[in-house]
Amino acid sequence: MSVPTDLKFTKEHEWVRIEGDTATFGISDHAQEALGDIVFVELPEVGRSIDAGEAYGVVESVKAVSDTYAPVAGEVIEINEALESEADLVNSDPYGVGWIIKVKISDNNAETELMNPEEYTEFLDE
Amino acid sequence: MRYLPHTNTDRQAMLHDIGVNNIADLFADIPSEFHIELGSMNLPEGLSETGIVRKFTKAAEKNRHAGNTRCFLGGGTYHHFVPAVVDYVISRGEFLTAYTPYQPEIAQGTLQALFEYQTMIARLTGMEVSNASMYEAATATAEAALMARRVTRKTRTVIAGSVNPRYRTVTENYLSRLEGDFVEVGMGKFGTDLSKVIAEIDNKTACVIVQYPDFYGSVYDLAPLREACDAHKCLMVVAFSDVSAFGLIESPGAYGADIVVGSGQALGIPMAYGGPHLGVFTCKKKYLRQMPGRVCGLTTDADGKRGFVLTLSTREQHIRREKATSNICTNQGLMCTAAATYMTLMGDAGLATIAEHSAAALDLLVSKLPSHVVAASGAHYNETVLTFESGDKRDAFIAEARKQDIFAGIPLEKFEKNIEPKHLLVATTEMIEEDDVNELIAAMEVAA
Amino acid sequence: MSENKYSATSGIQQEEPLLFEHAHEAPESINLPGVKGEVSSDLAAFKRKTPANIPGLSEPETVRHFVRLSQWNHGIETGFYPLGSCTMKYNPRVNEQIARLPGLAHVHPDQPEDSVQGMLGLLSELQGWLAEIAGFSDVTLQPAAGAHGELAGLMMIRKCLDARGEQNRKKVLVPDSAHGTNPASAALCGMYTVELKSGADGRIDLDELKKHLDDDVAALMMTNPNTAGTFETDIKEICQLVHDAGGLVYGDGANLNALVGVARPGDMGLDCLHINVHKTFSTPHGGGGPGAGPVAVNDTLKPFLPVPRIVENDGVFSIETEDEQSIGTILSTLGQSGVYMRANAYISAFGHNHIHQIAQDAVLNANYVLSKLKSVYHVPFEGLCKHECLLTDEWQNKHGVKTLDIAKRLIDLGFHPMTVYFPLIVHGAMLIEPTETESKETLDSFCDAMLEIAAQCEAGDTQALHDAPLKPIRRRLDETQAARKPVLVWEG
Repeated sequence: MSVPTDLKFTKEHEWVRIEGDTATFGISDHAQEALGDIVFVELPEVGRSIDAGEAYGVVESVKAVSDTYAPVAGEVIEINEALESEADLVNSDPYGVGWIIKVKISDNNAETELMNPEEYTEFLDE
Repeated sequence: MRYLPHTNTDRQAMLHDIGVNNIADLFADIPSEFHIELGSMNLPEGLSETGIVRKFTKAAEKNRHAGNTRCFLGGGTYHHFVPAVVDYVISRGEFLTAYTPYQPEIAQGTLQALFEYQTMIARLTGMEVSNASMYEAATATAEAALMARRVTRKTRTVIAGSVNPRYRTVTENYLSRLEGDFVEVGMGKFGTDLSKVIAEIDNKTACVIVQYPDFYGSVYDLAPLREACDAHKCLMVVAFSDVSAFGLIESPGAYGADIVVGSGQALGIPMAYGGPHLGVFTCKKKYLRQMPGRVCGLTTDADGKRGFVLTLSTREQHIRREKATSNICTNQGLMCTAAATYMTLMGDAGLATIAEHSAAALDLLVSKLPSHVVAASGAHYNETVLTFESGDKRDAFIAEARKQDIFAGIPLEKFEKNIEPKHLLVATTEMIEEDDVNELIAAMEVAA
Repeated sequence: MSENKYSATSGIQQEEPLLFEHAHEAPESINLPGVKGEVSSDLAAFKRKTPANIPGLSEPETVRHFVRLSQWNHGIETGFYPLGSCTMKYNPRVNEQIARLPGLAHVHPDQPEDSVQGMLGLLSELQGWLAEIAGFSDVTLQPAAGAHGELAGLMMIRKCLDARGEQNRKKVLVPDSAHGTNPASAALCGMYTVELKSGADGRIDLDELKKHLDDDVAALMMTNPNTAGTFETDIKEICQLVHDAGGLVYGDGANLNALVGVARPGDMGLDCLHINVHKTFSTPHGGGGPGAGPVAVNDTLKPFLPVPRIVENDGVFSIETEDEQSIGTILSTLGQSGVYMRANAYISAFGHNHIHQIAQDAVLNANYVLSKLKSVYHVPFEGLCKHECLLTDEWQNKHGVKTLDIAKRLIDLGFHPMTVYFPLIVHGAMLIEPTETESKETLDSFCDAMLEIAAQCEAGDTQALHDAPLKPIRRRLDETQAARKPVLVWEG
């Protein structure tokens, strides 16, 4: 799967798309591949404040489980409710309909170290 | 040694194939200072099969038991009917000697029985889902309290003083190493005063735990508790000691309980001096992912046929490790099979019959009490507290009953410290016949 | 193809619906001589408004239903069950018989002490024997399972450290090869775990251990032999290092079968050890319990043992329910007494004169299997093993065959698979534990099957492996479907 160029990535294999003061989070194609068939996504409540690097949810496959960490700090403004009944959207379209939450960015300075797609690809090759 | 199939010739041949000279070589990696002299352990000499039977028969004969006495003991364990079929089914080697069903293709028997157990126990307690059991009722209660903390992300636990003191103690012990308050609400009577419990609920409360029927056998209306829990967004946890009650009285689920826990020992499982019993754990479906313990779920196989697997295992310790919902690894699988067999034999009608007999025996007992013995007031299922004029009078009665091979009840101070020693916790089941009640009453009169 | 060499065949197994699907009116209710009478008016107000909808079947139908289900299972009585770390040994039938004696099975836990002296004697005797076999000074029978024993052990360690004024010690070191229950139990005790990376030989690496030993360390939790089936030869030094740093050593007794009667963990410096009597002392696993996890302790931890406790005075047994230093109570009752009757009977049968043969034959069998298979399956850690041997699928991976395929193929040949994908430190792990109650003939047959599978891989004849199992009543089951849309109760 090609990596969209407007995304940034973390070492925990999360992606973030920043549009104005809104950020959308998800997990990378590599992460969904490594987890296998995803069966459940635990979503945070709308309105919750999350620090950069904080675990905000959980992605589960049959045999593995992984916390999801916020690439940037913010307040949750929307969750992908479709995942509640169709967790496999994260497998089939991790950068599209498989997004996880949207936050209103609260502090740009509190970003974790983010990689651009080229850097992330290199990181994966290491 | 008859459990060991090898001849010495076998052993020699195997050692040769391994490429060592003797058995000791296989233990050479253990530092020699830790080798003990073989045969030197302080154990008796090995027994033959007849020797084992003789030894245990002799020990068993030193005990009195429900078969040669009349047993009015309760407090969490009850002498109910154990049908021969139940014991037969769980004696079958395919159920008895199987491991946890991790290879589902060759464990469909255990798995379907678990699924049937989960379905029936959920229906009996009036709940949406069940796990495949916990060790027993006290630890199940503690696990319910832990689960409520995860669901609500709050840490305060409120528990009614009319919950079995052993469930309270174990729950408090489990929670004592974690942050958060543990509040026990004194009842001031042998029953449950919900208003006192409700008064203790606040917005920091993760759950409130009550027992129904309570430790004293008292049955009461749970509806006000549901409202109070909703008002404070806390979970309503209902414990019970004798699941047979729900063949007759309204289930905790019907009152809107979020989690229901208790003992399923009444479902065809012998008392066995405290275990193995069956810990029941049922809850609302929306809390499923926070539920502790193993669960069995329905699925299909490669040919599209219906089958069963253990599922939602990412909640469990072997995957989630320190973040697991519980450290629990085993369930009481064989006891689930026993309970499933029992419930199948009984059906709604049989379960109702068992419960009616149990309740009727208590009614009869209470109706015949001499004037110097007082039973707790209000609705009771099959257990109540009798109060005597003095401790001496109570003890004289217990002693007189023992002479007639009757275990009359459990002195309440055995459960509750600091209580005046003149109360007796008395339970009845379908195994108590009218003559048994009459003889108990007669002993009361003799000892008066 | 030489399937006739193995025991598996295509016999008749009956399909059996869920009992809810039996189109059947509830039969006549049971008839018991209990007290009859109307429900009292007080209680009548609380009567159930709708029945629970439990379908009753007649007795013959019930028997047939559950017997058919039982026939879909593989048990130790059916065939070889080499599940590593689980110690699936023969469960003697006489143990079932004695546990059902009415004087043991129908005893109420709150009967007066004078009416249960026989039961208390058997439990007390077992307590002493377990202490002797494990090399400790005392034992609690209260824990209902291994993980429950871990909790009890860690609670005692916590209390002991608190008594020393070391409330700040909260770090529990756990090797990365450990059972998942270890970190989960530590979390329940308000402690946190730090994983120790295993050395190249799969054992605890002393330098790695030293790196983590500091003033925060509460305990090291270790399994010996470890989950790779090898003995921790540095055990004495490991315990010494932890003790010097102010911590205690918790032993996971899952692998005690390798040592019974030959060596004692208590002599090696451990402070406590939980014992899985359903493993080492042959109480039946029951399809996932009941088990029991008694904990043996040394003098350091003895004051903190749970209550209630059995006490003996001049041959008379009583139950002590209070003790200020105790960690308190962790179960409704003394313990799973019925399970302990069987464990007592197992040890009774061996006695001091045969008890060491448990470990000897268990270790002999594991090494025999290892010697037969090591030329065709990759062995991650060289050398002798203890009671179980560890292989991987590395050499079969080249042919596109994985551990799971090998496991499922074994089913078609009549064997229960070994433990797969554990320990986690080895990729594609296959952990084989034959136990002492298997014959050379059975081991040879199993090894032949394993060799044949490896040969099929080499020959590129792998379809049967990917398709397996074909013979059981169900084929591979869809775990993803089960987890995505959980159906835990029948809605029909």
